Amino acid sequence: MNVFLREMKAHRWGLVFWSLGMVMMIYSGMAKYGAYEAADESVAVILDQIPGAVQAVFGMTGFDLTSAAGFFGMLFLYLAVMGAVHAALLGAHLIAKEERDHTSEFLYAKPASRSRVLTGKLLAGLVNIIVLNMVAAASSFYFVEMFNKDEPFGSDIVLLMIGLFFLQVIFFAIGAAVAGTSHKPKSAASRATSIMFGTFLLFYVVNLDEDLEFLKYFTPFKYFEASALMTDGALDPVFVALSATIVVLAIAGTYRAYSARDLAI
Amino acid sequence: MELRMNVIETSRLTKYYGKSRGIVDLDMTVEEGEIYGFIGPNGAGKSTTIRTLLGLIHPTSGSATIFGKDITAFGPQIRQEVGYLPSEVFYYDDMRAIDLLRYSASFYNKDPKATEKRARELAERFDLDLRKKIDDLSYGNKKKVGIIQGLAHQPKLIILDEPTGGLDPLIQQEFFHLLKKQNAEGATVLFSSHILSEVQKLCDRVAIIKEGSIIRVDQIRTLLENATKRLTLEMAAPVEESVFALDGVSDLAVTNHTVSFLYRGHVNDLTGLLARLDLVDLQVEEPDLEEIFLHYYQKEE
Repeated sequence: MNVFLREMKAHRWGLVFWSLGMVMMIYSGMAKYGAYEAADESVAVILDQIPGAVQAVFGMTGFDLTSAAGFFGMLFLYLAVMGAVHAALLGAHLIAKEERDHTSEFLYAKPASRSRVLTGKLLAGLVNIIVLNMVAAASSFYFVEMFNKDEPFGSDIVLLMIGLFFLQVIFFAIGAAVAGTSHKPKSAASRATSIMFGTFLLFYVVNLDEDLEFLKYFTPFKYFEASALMTDGALDPVFVALSATIVVLAIAGTYRAYSARDLAI
Repeated sequence: MELRMNVIETSRLTKYYGKSRGIVDLDMTVEEGEIYGFIGPNGAGKSTTIRTLLGLIHPTSGSATIFGKDITAFGPQIRQEVGYLPSEVFYYDDMRAIDLLRYSASFYNKDPKATEKRARELAERFDLDLRKKIDDLSYGNKKKVGIIQGLAHQPKLIILDEPTGGLDPLIQQEFFHLLKKQNAEGATVLFSSHILSEVQKLCDRVAIIKEGSIIRVDQIRTLLENATKRLTLEMAAPVEESVFALDGVSDLAVTNHTVSFLYRGHVNDLTGLLARLDLVDLQVEEPDLEEIFLHYYQKEE
């Protein structure tokens, strides 16, 4: 509990800034939709000028862009990237900072096992992730509603936010695993975000060529793609299972490796 | 008969970092209530031994117990009764000193209020402002925070790894005084250092560590007694060399009124001899641990 509270306090300002960033991004995204609509130009018409292949690569196809919710669906990819960056950094930072700042010699000379400390840190991270997700959900509802034209959108946003949460937890677990298993605390955050951006690039690659579709299993961004979620109205059980497996393996690996290894002092 | 428990006991404790040596087959026994000195040059394995005992790193082979409990299986339980001060202290920059001490106290199964009260007493004693942020403290003051977080919970075992760096002499004296007091109240102390005068001031027994192994353990008194003293006498009148024919005297030089020699043996025999002489001045040079230490090092090589 003490470690949990300590980490909540240590990350409170970071969380405030990430939340503000999230609100700003959703607002500015939806404001663009509002501007197009106000100018009586259909977003769909404008986007039609973009070549289809480019649209496909950037995940812009499969949305009803005349509706606010459809436009939000296109925006979702960028919320996902933001949530993923936050989560990966958070997971890596929570664990690596004790060694990076040389406080591990203080902390682990206290009567707490590595796993107890880890549990406190991971729970604090989880709460941070949930808060950011809630902020994203609330501002999505608010700003989509602001530009909405009497179309139901609630279930779409709920579904997308569940998808966002899965992505956040996956990259949080990966960040934690990178920091937990390695002796190099200084590079943990950059390695975690590299993995995250690597899978994001892979998302584009998969969109680029249908022959590469099998690669979708290697990029969590494909697991929770907005167009698929909004069309199906449900999460894909295969991807949910895959996500759960990744998270369980990463977290279990973190506990095992972190307890067994020597601390960098 | 009082049975003394071994507070620390290591058995063939070995730690390699990859291929490079930390400690090899280290056997060490620290008894309850003693102040155990641990001396050797940098890189000899002092910190490796201590970090292994604390569970910060894991042994490659061998085993160790603290309070009779295995260090790998019962780390957290053991550390309830251990206070540790490393040679270099690093704390959370965004915390105030008092926050750090409260955070530290929160890990122990002890009344946090009593621990905080003690921490405040110690802070007063060391003239440390607990409201200051860690980031704003000088290194010496951070070190004081280190001393307090290591002692406030009244541990049964105090482990100090070259703790005096950055402490000014007055604070150091106060710190040693405090350690002796804790020791008198029952705490066992493991004190590692490469500064020998410190060890000499504080410790009951000393282990000399070299290249990852303990090469000798002695009562500090024995080390000093067995050592040679240099005497320089200023006589009232010239004397014969034969006056100094005493067991343990060597390197005798008599020049007019001045006599100088090395002595190794019982001090009483020496004072008996000196009492019969008509002295103007007397100078006895104590060998410091440094010399003794060098002696063992050279002998081993």
